[in-house]
This record gives sequence, structure tokens and C-alpha cells, in this order.
Amino acid sequence: MAVSVAPGHGIAHGDDDHGHDDIIYRETRDMRLMGFVLFLGADVVLFSSYIFAYIYLRNSIPAWPPPGPDGHALPRLDTAFAAFNSIVLFGSGVTMHWALEHWKHANRGRFNLFMFLTILLGIGFLGGQAYEYAHAAIGGWSGNTFGASFFTLTGMHGLHVAVGVGFLIALWIQTTRGVYTKDRFFGLTAGTLYWHFVDVIWVGLFFLFYLW
Amino acid sequence: MATVAPGVTTGPYHAVLDHIHPEPTSFIRKYIFSIDAKVIGIQYMITGAIFFAISGFMAELIRTQLLSPDGAIVSPATYNSIYSMHGSSMVWFVVIPLLTGAFGNFVMPMQIGARDVAFPWLNLVAFWIFPVAGVILFSSFLIGAPDAGWTEYPPISLQGPPGTNLWCIAVFLIGISSTMTGINFLVTIFKMRAPGMTFTRMPLFVWAQFATAPLSFIATTALGAALAALFIERVFGVPFYDPKRGGSPVLWQHMFWFYSHPAVYIMIIPGFGIISEVLPTFARKPIFGYKMIAFSSVAIALLSFSVWAHHMFTSGMAPWLQLPFMIITMVIAIPTGIKIFSWMATLWGGAINWKTPALYATGFLITFTYGGLTGFFLAAIPADYHEHGTYFVVAHFHYVLYGGSIMSLFAGLYYWWPKMTGRMYNEKLGQLQFWLTFIGFNATFTPMHWLGLMGMPRRVATYDPQFKFWNQFATYSSYVMAAGAILFIYILIDSLRRGKKAGPNPWGARTLEWMVSSPAPYYNFKKIPAVLAAPYDFGNPLPYLGLEAAPGATEATPTHSSHPVPTH
Repeated sequence: MAVSVAPGHGIAHGDDDHGHDDIIYRETRDMRLMGFVLFLGADVVLFSSYIFAYIYLRNSIPAWPPPGPDGHALPRLDTAFAAFNSIVLFGSGVTMHWALEHWKHANRGRFNLFMFLTILLGIGFLGGQAYEYAHAAIGGWSGNTFGASFFTLTGMHGLHVAVGVGFLIALWIQTTRGVYTKDRFFGLTAGTLYWHFVDVIWVGLFFLFYLW
Repeated sequence: MATVAPGVTTGPYHAVLDHIHPEPTSFIRKYIFSIDAKVIGIQYMITGAIFFAISGFMAELIRTQLLSPDGAIVSPATYNSIYSMHGSSMVWFVVIPLLTGAFGNFVMPMQIGARDVAFPWLNLVAFWIFPVAGVILFSSFLIGAPDAGWTEYPPISLQGPPGTNLWCIAVFLIGISSTMTGINFLVTIFKMRAPGMTFTRMPLFVWAQFATAPLSFIATTALGAALAALFIERVFGVPFYDPKRGGSPVLWQHMFWFYSHPAVYIMIIPGFGIISEVLPTFARKPIFGYKMIAFSSVAIALLSFSVWAHHMFTSGMAPWLQLPFMIITMVIAIPTGIKIFSWMATLWGGAINWKTPALYATGFLITFTYGGLTGFFLAAIPADYHEHGTYFVVAHFHYVLYGGSIMSLFAGLYYWWPKMTGRMYNEKLGQLQFWLTFIGFNATFTPMHWLGLMGMPRRVATYDPQFKFWNQFATYSSYVMAAGAILFIYILIDSLRRGKKAGPNPWGARTLEWMVSSPAPYYNFKKIPAVLAAPYDFGNPLPYLGLEAAPGATEATPTHSSHPVPTH
């Protein structure tokens, strides 16, 4: 796509033995990496805003959880189940890490295995979340401020996981088409970063909704 | 890294810098879906100008309504929609896109010696969200435009007309565009500067964009969260803000102002950057306090995140919390004051060439300082209790937004117009246009301070007859401003049709964008130049190596020709 028509300063590009093409790749990759990390930073602000909203709403009434329609306080969420589901998600973070490491070492078989496990665990987490949504007796999304905060925040997180699963599947298909090589795999790096990011957000949400 | 010249090493990114995309040949890829930052900048400019015209028309409707105490032309409900849309449009669809999207894209990559931004395709998408979001915003008039002011405080906005939903979507979309642009610019400035352009050699406009970019993607995301919550509360009944259902209207104010106060600086820091380019060029002097101007932009950007609650002193907030917000707000006057004094020192003793950009930049110094001082009154909690929700606030933010942002936009547009079009504008008409705007503006908004202190509330379609005289005075003065705006359109058309050729550097400026022909070629620079120093040392040879000397580019005042360009 890019066509070099400028001779530059007539100086050697870099002091390594790689070709010009490699240098272009490396510089482009670094710029994309920075852009992607900044994007994740913006996403952190999105979650932080709703976390702030949750803390604010929680502190603006005398007792938490707030009373349901019958006047009794709403039940707490099922911490044990959520803990199990969290392990599923964190496990997928570990498998994703291994997948990337095996890619770097050109071990295609192991890469495929761990990619598969990561996607499976991601879908498993979403299934667990669906189960939890069906059984959380806190009055639904629009019932009260507890439900509003809980379903908005975890729903947004779930949406991120779902997007992440799609992202990983797309990356996996790309690997079968030879888009990435042992040395050039920025997409996989970005996917891994995104996946870890979703994990880290969940740590915060787990503390907020299940432990606090 | 490699050494280009004594004292100049290349950054790690010069290979990408040197690359040139082939210039597109089809009309659509060249002018409609272009990835060239200069074309995108001009696209922002045109789109923003259209929204500016619509918003300005709404402003004149507002003023005409207030000609008589019992409301001359529209019903109070329509009036509510008009001022709400005027504010929303001016903030999100005029000032922010023009200062970041338009000037940022057109000027910044050239000033750092780059061929384009870091992510040209992202830039293309970010631009095209802008007109789409604008159409969504204005189509809300068809189903009942939002009527709770540009701040859309719940619970009023929860009961607002259906168009409020479109407002949420439109502002959310423009926020995404702003986020994309912020990330793009930050990576561009970090990674794509020409060899030798260290941070302290960057032009001050680039510094301004550098300070603004993080605000664009950090603060805007918080606004997105608040808007999405408002939208789902209105559409799905999910309680966030409704006090009847355990929500809190003050929560919206916190989330909204956590964005919107930094947004105030998104709307002014690039303007500071423009002023910092214009003043030294027309004073023919090095900028005074380069580093202080540069660092104070960053200081303002950082402080801007910790002052939002000064908009909420009357909203019910713990008194112990109000005090730090007041103090930090006042502290912002220090970096801002550093800039004002540095600019004054730049003008001091200079052989000022009073062309239109210089007039606008100097007018900016007056009106912006005035607006900043009334901000001090509003930051003081006891005074704010009296002034909050009155025309004093309206006067204040028009002084900083029109007298600050828009005046700097005019300065920038007159200044870079020859670079954009290759043609000069009519200088006499330009100066007339400045005086119409400057006098009309001050006569419109100065009386509003008095009206506010006398107790006239803002956002009312009718008012007590005791306020009649100054309201009528403001309205007639606003027509002078409108005449200035119409004259401006004529000046631009006239310049395009009859303007004389500008040449590469009509102002004798020293930043890199003036080193190439006007309009600049697709790839900006034939060879990426190397930078030896900051660009403001008027009187010294240009600090660039390896420039293909643009024909006619002279290191000279516009009236006297002196040093030729050193061609290395």
C-alpha cells in the first residue's frame, strides 16, 4: 500500500540488519500499540464513570441493598457462583497468555489449543452471566438503582467480553490465512491486551458487587 | 537513531515519516473520503461553518425574542428548544470540531514535519461521524427538540420531548469522533515529529493540541457514560437520575461536568495555540516565555479535571467540598495568567504589523482576559450564590467562548487561509469585519453582566420590563455581530474568486507549514526536514535543514525583504 517515493535524508534507517520493510512494520506497530493502549485508557474512564455512579447512588440512600417493591431489602447477589464464574474468566486470561507465547515460539498446535480454550472459557463466562441474570432477584434492570447499576455495569462488561470473543475468533481466522507471522503479530498482541483488560475490569466489578 | 546534522539525531520513527501514500486520483477519494489530514481539516472547517451559521441564526432568534419583555416572536417552549440547541451545537458541533478537528488536522501534521496523522483512516471515520451526528442533532427539531438547555439537567431532561433522545445519540457520536481524534493526535505528536524536533522545539500550536488531546479522549468518555445512562433512563426507564426512584439528578451534574469542565479547555487551549502562533509572527519578535506557555497548557489540562464541581455550588454539595473546588478553580488563573502576560510581553516593543489575524489575536487578549476575570467572580462561592443561573453566567461564558474560542478561530482562519487556499483575502474588509465583530460582541455581552447582577435569570423567554433597555441594546448590538459574520462569508468568497496569489509564506512566519507551497502539496514535504531549534527566533536564519526551498519563501517581514532562506 505504502509506496516510498522519498529518499529520506539519504541516511541509513536504523542500525540493525533488518530491511526497510521491517523498520516500517516496527514503527507502525509501535504507533498502533500506543493508540490501542490509549483506547483502552478511554475505556477505563467509561467503566470508571459507571463505577462512580454506582458508588454515588449507593451512598445517597441510607441502606444498601435498597428495599424492593415489598419493602424488604433486596437479597445480596450470589457471591459463590460469581466467584466460580470469575475463575472461568481469569482462567481464559491465562490460556490467552499461553496462546500468545506459543505463537511467538511458532508452536501452532499449542497456539490453536489455547486459542480454542480461551474462546470456550469466554463463552462459558457469558453463559454464567446469563444464568446469573436469570436468577438475580434484585428487581431487574429498571426496578431500582441497584439493578440499574448492576445490570448496566456487568452488562457493559459482558458486552466487552462478547466483543472480545468475536475479536479472538476473527484473529484466529486471520492466523489460518497467514496474516501473522512469528515476528509480525500485532493483532494478536492487541487481542491479548484487550482480553487482559476485560479481566482486570472484572476484578473491580467483582469487588464492587459481590464483596462490598 | 542516526545523526542527520551536528546536534540533530533522527527519532525512531523516521522510516514511517518518509513514506508517501500515492495521491488519489478520483474525485471521491480526493475530496470526499480523503485520508489526507489537510483535506479532512478543511472538511471539518466547512461542516463546522455550516453548523456555525445555523447556531448563529438561532442566537439571533434568541436575541430577537428578547427585544420585548413579553417575548416577541416564538412561544416559550420553542424558545427553550432554540437556546438548548444553540448551546449544544456551538459547543459540540462548532467550537470543538473547528479547534481540534479542523485546525488540528490542517496545521498540526505540517507543523511537526509529518506527511499525515498517525492513523489516517481513523481520521477519515472520525470526520464522517461529525456531519452525521450533526444531522441527527438538528433533525430533533422534527420531533420536538430538547428543551432543558445544553446541559440537559434531569429531571427536566427526563420529561423532555422525544428529540432529547436524538440529542443523546448525536452528542454521544460526536464524543466518539472526538475520542478518535484525541488518540490520533496524541500518537501523531508523540511518534511522528520530524528529526530534531524535540518537545521543546515544537510550535506552540502543537503543544496546545498535545495538551488538548488527552482531554478529548479521557473526559469525553465520561460524558458518553452519562449520556448513555440518560438515554437508557429515558427509553427503558432504568433509574439513574430520577429522584423519585432512588436516582440522583446531582449524579448527572457530576458526570456531565466532569466532562464539560475539561471540555471548556478543549475549547480554549487550541485557541491559545493559535494566538501563540499569530502574535510572534505579527509582532516580528520571538515568543516571550516559550516553555512557560507550553507547560502552562499542560498544567491547565491537568487542573481542569479537578474543578468540575464549581458549576454545582448551588446544587446541594457538602460545604467542605466546595472550598477545594473554589481554590483549585482560582489556581487555574495562574497558568492562564502566565500565558496572558507572556503574550503581552511578546507584543511589547514589537513592530506590530496590524493585519487582521493580529487584530483578532489582540482582541482575544482583551475579551478573553475579561471573561477570565468574571470567571473568578463565579468561582468565589458567595458571589456565585448570587450570580448562578443569571445572565452574568451567560455573559461570562460568551466572553470566554466567543471572545476567546471564536476570536481565536477567526484569527486562525485569517492566518492560515492563504495556506489553505493559496489566496489572500481583502485586508481592508478583513479589518472592517474584525471591528464589526469586536464592537458588536462587546456591546452585546457587556450589558449582560449588569443584567445578571440585577437579577435577570437566564433561559427565560419573557422578562421583567425593568431589564428592557439593556436587552434591546444587546439585541441591536448582536445584529452588528451578525453583519460581521455575513461580511466574513463575503470576504471568503471574494478571496476565492478574486484574491491575489498568496505565495508560500505571506506573513513571513517561521513554522514548517509556511515552508511549503500554498496550498500545500499532498505529501506536505518533498523531504522531511530536520529541525535545529524552536521556530520563533525572528531575525535569525530558519532552523531547518534539508528543506526543498519553497519558491519565494523568505525570512522577511511582509513589507521588507531581508534574509533569503538558507538552502542547505
